[in-house]
Amino acid sequence: MSIDEKFKVETEILKHDVLCMKLNGFLDAHTAPILENAVQSAITENNFKIIMNFEKLDYISSAGLGVFMSFIEEIRSNNGDIKMTGMNDKVFTVFDLLGFPMLFDISPNTDELMTKFVDYDNH
Amino acid sequence: MIIIKMKHINHNEKCLCTISSSSELEKIRNFVILCAEKFGFDDKESHNIALAVDEACSNLIRYGFKYNSKHDIQVNISSNDEHKFVVSISDNALPFNPTKVESPNMEEYFRQFKKGGLGIHLMKLVMDEIDYIPKSKNNPRNTLLLKKYLKI
Repeated sequence: MSIDEKFKVETEILKHDVLCMKLNGFLDAHTAPILENAVQSAITENNFKIIMNFEKLDYISSAGLGVFMSFIEEIRSNNGDIKMTGMNDKVFTVFDLLGFPMLFDISPNTDELMTKFVDYDNH
Repeated sequence: MIIIKMKHINHNEKCLCTISSSSELEKIRNFVILCAEKFGFDDKESHNIALAVDEACSNLIRYGFKYNSKHDIQVNISSNDEHKFVVSISDNALPFNPTKVESPNMEEYFRQFKKGGLGIHLMKLVMDEIDYIPKSKNNPRNTLLLKKYLKI
């Protein structure tokens, strides 16, 4: 199986300049560089408001979590954020075990995440 | 060419041998999940055991072998005790004992936006016991033992 079949990222601009990244497949040490490149491209294009959609993500290991940690500081210093939605139980367990909900907004409700971006801008 | 050997050593022991490349992680996880489910673990527990094995192998590939895929990793599953599931991962890299690594304080970790070092912590969180036997004069391979008890 080629690496593109194991993991894919699709991006889509939503309203209010929020970029949605739809993750698909397995995010592990093998595929994490694909996400790293995708987030780097988003930042290069000045997209700092990102919603990660995990609906089609079947698996994540610490290599995947590492990608979020490596960009979050830069993204927040540009008034942006990475917010997360659509996690299945197994994927959420990995985030939860390590306490990631302390640092990241994780919600099944994309509208709620979108409202947080808009509210932040209006402040 | 990728060399994969899956041997059934005896009724209670199974072994997967792969090259030391991250492209093999999915295969390793699938192997562990299959064995864990057969042993009686549910979906979530089997996933967590496979996650621990993935983290151990990812660290080996990155730090132990520095992305050189010309080595091999052996993943062995033994279950002689009917409630104790043991995954042993053996390699010929420089010894590194993950049980000696202190777990991070996650509040501090997030406050300082730290990076890396979460794999071993995850391994410890999901497994019941972890042991490490470094290679020696008589034994050319290190062995990491990840153990999980099946709750009745």
